[in-house]
Amino acid sequence: MIEVISIYCILPFAVTVPVSYFWRKAGYIGVIISSILFLTASLLSFTYLSSFTAISTIAWISVSLFSLTYGDKYGKWLAPLFSISILGMALILVSHTYLQFLAGWEVMSIASYAIIGLNRKDSHPPFIFMSFSEFSTVFIMAGAAYSYYLTGTIDIVAVNSIIPSVLFTIGAMVKMGMVPFMISEWLPIAHGNAPSNASAILSSTMTLMGVFGIVELMLLSPVSMYFGIFLIAIGVMSVIFASLFAYVSENSKMLAGFSTVESNGVILSTIGFYMIADTSLLREFALATIVVFALSHAISKSLIFSGIGATGVESFSERNPSRDSKLKAGMLLGTASMAGLFPTIGGLGTWMMLEMFFMGAVEPGFLGIISIAAGSLLALGEGFAFGAMMKILKFTSMGNGKARADPVQRQSLYFMGILLVATFAASPFFMFSAFVGGVPSVLVFNGSTIESMFSGTDFGLISPDYILALLSIFTLSAIALFGKPSGRTVPVWNNGRDSFEPYNSYAYSNNIRMMLKKILRTDMGHKSQRIAMADVFWIFTVQVSRAYRKFARGFTMRIMNSSIRWYMIYMVVSIIFVLLAARFAG
Amino acid sequence: MHWYRNDEPQGRFIGSTANMDIYAETYTNASARQKESTYRKADQEFIFSYGPASGMLESSEIDLFTPGEIINHVDVGTDVRKRILRLARSNPVDALMKIERINGFHGASHAICFISALEDAMDIIPDRKLQYNRIVQIECERIRSNLMVIERMAQAAGFGVPVNQLAFLREKMSRIIGRRGGHRYFFGVNSINNSCFNTEVIGKQTGSVAEDFNDIFRGLSESKLFINRLQDNGINRDSLSIGPAARASGMMHDARMDSGTLPYEDTSYAIVTNDEKDAYGRFMVRAEEIEVSSNIIKHLEKRCRDLGKYDYSMKDGEGMARVESPPGDLFCSVKIAGGKLESSGYIPPSIRNIESFRESMKGNIFTDFHFNWESYGIWVAEAGVVLQ
Amino acid sequence: MIKGLWFLRGLRKGIVTEKFPEVKPGEVALWSTALKGDGNPQCPVEAIVDGKWIFDRCIFCRKCLPSYAPNGNFNIFKVRKKEPSFNKSFHLFPFDSGACGACNAELHNIASPQYDMTRFGIFFTNTPRHADAIVIMGVWTQGMKKALDLALDAMPGPKLVIALGACAATGGIMGKGALAEEKYDVVIGGCPPNPYTILSALEKARGD
Repeated sequence: MIEVISIYCILPFAVTVPVSYFWRKAGYIGVIISSILFLTASLLSFTYLSSFTAISTIAWISVSLFSLTYGDKYGKWLAPLFSISILGMALILVSHTYLQFLAGWEVMSIASYAIIGLNRKDSHPPFIFMSFSEFSTVFIMAGAAYSYYLTGTIDIVAVNSIIPSVLFTIGAMVKMGMVPFMISEWLPIAHGNAPSNASAILSSTMTLMGVFGIVELMLLSPVSMYFGIFLIAIGVMSVIFASLFAYVSENSKMLAGFSTVESNGVILSTIGFYMIADTSLLREFALATIVVFALSHAISKSLIFSGIGATGVESFSERNPSRDSKLKAGMLLGTASMAGLFPTIGGLGTWMMLEMFFMGAVEPGFLGIISIAAGSLLALGEGFAFGAMMKILKFTSMGNGKARADPVQRQSLYFMGILLVATFAASPFFMFSAFVGGVPSVLVFNGSTIESMFSGTDFGLISPDYILALLSIFTLSAIALFGKPSGRTVPVWNNGRDSFEPYNSYAYSNNIRMMLKKILRTDMGHKSQRIAMADVFWIFTVQVSRAYRKFARGFTMRIMNSSIRWYMIYMVVSIIFVLLAARFAG
Repeated sequence: MHWYRNDEPQGRFIGSTANMDIYAETYTNASARQKESTYRKADQEFIFSYGPASGMLESSEIDLFTPGEIINHVDVGTDVRKRILRLARSNPVDALMKIERINGFHGASHAICFISALEDAMDIIPDRKLQYNRIVQIECERIRSNLMVIERMAQAAGFGVPVNQLAFLREKMSRIIGRRGGHRYFFGVNSINNSCFNTEVIGKQTGSVAEDFNDIFRGLSESKLFINRLQDNGINRDSLSIGPAARASGMMHDARMDSGTLPYEDTSYAIVTNDEKDAYGRFMVRAEEIEVSSNIIKHLEKRCRDLGKYDYSMKDGEGMARVESPPGDLFCSVKIAGGKLESSGYIPPSIRNIESFRESMKGNIFTDFHFNWESYGIWVAEAGVVLQ
Repeated sequence: MIKGLWFLRGLRKGIVTEKFPEVKPGEVALWSTALKGDGNPQCPVEAIVDGKWIFDRCIFCRKCLPSYAPNGNFNIFKVRKKEPSFNKSFHLFPFDSGACGACNAELHNIASPQYDMTRFGIFFTNTPRHADAIVIMGVWTQGMKKALDLALDAMPGPKLVIALGACAATGGIMGKGALAEEKYDVVIGGCPPNPYTILSALEKARGD
């Protein structure tokens, strides 16, 4: 059994729920305080898996800070549901048994379902979300049942069969929106339809719970190379497709949702790499990569969703984004981190991921071939992801509109941006020896350079500080030589016209729409003046969601009456049940 | 009126003046033509504006409606440089000076078409020699114009050597014209029932230009790089299109063939067509027509020697004329009353060519734009003129 | 074999560029050169006043024949302001305000190998932002007025404003000049001006 902290650590979250129903701000402050306590508790007995707790709490704190002044228009249910879904996640993180894990999983999912339901522009998204959630629960349950069959206990313990891990992983992959359970659209549509702070939590930490579950079981199960290859394949496909869809997406939250799928694809490939790597050195590197990448994703995705909420630009063509320097700085750092640029933690994560596959490529045989193929495809996907991130940055934050964001929101965005740089700056310290087996053998922080060691020698090296220093030296010497650049502001010359239409976001990505007509099924329709995109996965998704709705309709008629109150009662009852069950099982 | 009659539509549609619809053989009163539906900009599209002042050869406001990369719709604004010419109540001889300057690059076609309409109104039957002289002028102009179009297409492809070689030939052609008429753009060369264009041994000189051109043409038509830029670019499906654009789409539309204004039937004229329909087809037609024009000049050169001075007397009446200017049909109509112009009508080829261009541009991408635009040989100057 | 190799084809043609201005031009169309004569024949554009020929009004229509006739002198331009700083590179922004195409073609011609403007360091640019001089062609038109104002504003200093042809300078027979005549730094006469005239005027304008 894996060492985890006591289940009572999550009680403060439970207390927060009723508070937040009556006092919204107090509720969010409650989440912050509970998160700090939870973080402290997890740091006291630190294991590799505790890093997921740390990552989650950092995201929760950041988003709660942002939420203090956000979400008036969503009514009084948003804050308690927000707390409940965090409570569910906290339960997952401290679960000793499959029952606790599943209870947390359900609490998290149902609360999220209700949040998406609150923002009902369209009845599809909540049903889509729920149908996929239940689908994932079924797999996780099956994994748990098989483990019980093998070990005779519902505790999460080491097993000598890979099957529970496989079932569990598939269930978690659904939650992460991996191929073929998406691919493409359920997660983005569901996340895109929630209020921004909830999207931030769903995207950054709910998918992290999937990663947590997979990694936890991976560490407890025997390793199968075939399963590793399977995961790499799924991960790579998810990265390519999701980054493509992100790049062509016209809704900023959908874009961010696709980007989540893409990042999870990277993490899944890394998990797959862990399984196929035959040396402990590479495995350690993979584990370190998972954490760094997940950390980057959690913070920057919280930031990006919150930023979209703050600017209010959902559809790129909607309005002129505001000219707000703090918001701009925050979004710049957030998108830079997601795009894998230094000096943010995302730069380190992406570098480590690619470096890891490069190192694998040196190995002879199967591992080498797979590493080359997967690494190059992942790099391609990361390239698209970069384009998508620049799109989001340009069209949500680089405007010159007059409207300014709320002060608390812009400060919290700025804080998250700084956090991305700070975590990178602090990475030599927290990465030093905390991981299984000790990382320094692979990852060496040598002054301002980061090196990867392999077979006792330097393999790769990157020095963001060096680049930074070089840039500053060139800039300063240019200024010293030629003086401060004197500029003048002149109106744009537009072929002799005094007005001009700005380049739009649709055009930004239309080259890809045209080049990948077959995949994206682009219909440019210049005759009918209609431009449409269809996608095979979406058709499938809609069918699944229709089937679920049909089933749910009968259920709803009898029990739920489509009133949000009934969902709440169901959740409160299930929480009580879960806590009781946890007490006895524990 | 010798060539045109007011009757049911006969032959292909040429265009409309302010109050008439002109067909190949007849004219009718202007029918209430349905206005073309205005394009509604799709949500994803933005307007990429090109011009008026973009360093192009001429000014025009081009609006490309695009969702990025692909062009869904094009608007060509010629009104931005609209020139209003007041011809009414003016002396036809003075009016001619303005007509020549509607499109200076095709000054001969414009002047000859207008003069022919005047002569038609005044019941003057010009001497054959004079007619041949006029044909030689128009064909010289055509050679230069086609050289220009091909040069501009090669320029769009960034082919430095052929661009310069073609520019050299074009300048050579301008000098040949300047030497013989005293003016490089035929201004003041033509007048009613007269011409001062000296055609002596011109055939040899234009022949050498055509020969030099053939060498460049062979090089260009063997260059995959060049052809690839033109093929399937701007497929012209406009059934009303005129001039080289029509002939490149397999349509036998040519005023040299179906207009009685100039006696082309006396020449060795053979119509050049192509079935490619795209910019490549237009390139081929333009190129082959240089040879055809050169042959016409050679053929007529001796038959218009010793051009005399012809007298004429002003007479009232109505007249119409249509000639094949380098980009296509050019139509003029005049009404003379009391020795003054009472009204005049004018259909420049570029109006139709702009329409054909706009249609053919749909579905193409940005980089196709220049090739396609140049391949039509459009002159905005003539499209943006209003006669009053 | 040589067909596809444009470089070799270029070499084979040899140098065709003339040695102008060191060597006199070989061929200038007569009716683009200065008119000389006596008397006051009728002129549609009033280019002959009191027996004096005014170069920037003349449209070379030949109505003054035989009193006046061209004398072959193609230097028909006036330079009001010289700008020696353009000595090495001189970027022109062509601006068509309402020209018939002849001026446009003649300006375009100075790039052809016979003249080869680049040997003088003269280039075209398609934005006024990079331009040293704006070359205005054609008559004043309502639609281009705004664009002309914007272009003149957009140009960095020092700059030259050049009128190319009678239309731009005085309006000729087609209308009124694109700008008031005193606003031009260089006025090049002709309808259209000969390429030699254009080159000589441009050379003069930068102080040669």
